[in-house]
Amino acid sequence: MFALKTIVLKWLFLTISPCDAAEPWQLGSQDAATPIMQGIIDLHHDIFFFLILILVFVLWILVRALWHFHYKENAIPQRIVHGTTIEILRTIFPSLISMFIAIPSFALLYSMDEVVVDPAITIKAIGHQWYRTYEYSDYNSSDEQSLTFDSYMIPEEDLELGQSRLLEVDNRVVVPAKTHLRIIVTSADVPHSWAVPSSGVKCDAVPGRLNQISILVQREGVYYGQCSEICGTNHAFTPIVVEAVPRKDYGSRVSNQLIPQTGEA
Amino acid sequence: MAESVSAQTPSLSEQYHLEKEVKPVEVQAEEVEAKEDSPPEEAVEDKSESPASTEVTSEEAPAAATEEENTTEDVAEETPDEIKLETAPADFRFPTTNQTRHCFTRYIEYHRCVAAKGDDAPECDKFSKFYRSLCPGEWVDRWNEQRENGTFPGPL
Repeated sequence: MFALKTIVLKWLFLTISPCDAAEPWQLGSQDAATPIMQGIIDLHHDIFFFLILILVFVLWILVRALWHFHYKENAIPQRIVHGTTIEILRTIFPSLISMFIAIPSFALLYSMDEVVVDPAITIKAIGHQWYRTYEYSDYNSSDEQSLTFDSYMIPEEDLELGQSRLLEVDNRVVVPAKTHLRIIVTSADVPHSWAVPSSGVKCDAVPGRLNQISILVQREGVYYGQCSEICGTNHAFTPIVVEAVPRKDYGSRVSNQLIPQTGEA
Repeated sequence: MAESVSAQTPSLSEQYHLEKEVKPVEVQAEEVEAKEDSPPEEAVEDKSESPASTEVTSEEAPAAATEEENTTEDVAEETPDEIKLETAPADFRFPTTNQTRHCFTRYIEYHRCVAAKGDDAPECDKFSKFYRSLCPGEWVDRWNEQRENGTFPGPL
């Protein structure tokens, strides 16, 4: 009984729930699910350090100057116009700070573009007004689609308890975790944008163009995102939900979705 | 919505360890519900079903079973009956984000291969898989129509 109670308490109070969707009043980023997002968060921390340094310094100087520049306290302001040392320092220091910010920033930027491993899966995300279509065509033996489905937002009336408003969809994109994916984003009508913040992905869906993004989702979970390019009246109501499942379950999930397809196709 | 991380999260090697697997062949058997509950038993049935299923239809699900190529991923173990995760490789001719030309080029390569080698040449299968993976279905349908009408704007 004591063991049971400990387990219950542990599950009640010590479970960690990653933040993979927008939370109300959220200040920071969602938890990272890909190396790209983790790199972005780390870069943000790097830059934020210098940001606070500069902010405090500038505020200090500003407040001090205002405080002491009082017509009664200091009627005669100093008239310094030159100062070689300080001029050199105030040129060198900002350049150094810029360099410290630029180095990790460029490192991340160029590493995001590198495709070092061939992807294992290609998923096409096609934007429509106002829903998404996902195609998994790696398994075709002919020109018919192997797995194509539409993903509509679940309207508020149809939500169940615990689901998120404006974020849930009827058919989620199922991807295997810990697998290199290639996502090809395009649109069938107007520009959209396929964004999943916890995966560090935002890719414009332009009609007539195929944009490729490579991601590696590092943990299983359900990740939410929303359309990020104005696309008409229901732009706010076209969310994206990515469900990363263990790699061994991926095959069965895909084939489960194939059953209704074989009925139609 | 948010998932809890279990205290018994298996280690990476445990996660990658694949026992006898549930596989897409079940689609043909139409017993997916029951099969999902007892994966170890299916493997035995799977192996005997796969020869039969490959003949059943040319639909997508058995195509997955018949594509018995190795994945490009460094997975610890994988049974040969698993759905193979393989797709068009990253082409160094198209290193940037815009892959429109990549898809178009694969489509043209396939049709040139077919024109040179005939309709059922196995060498052309590779190209057909590539362009199907990369190109949206609507684009492929539109191009097929254009080819039939003789209005395809590409060097076939």
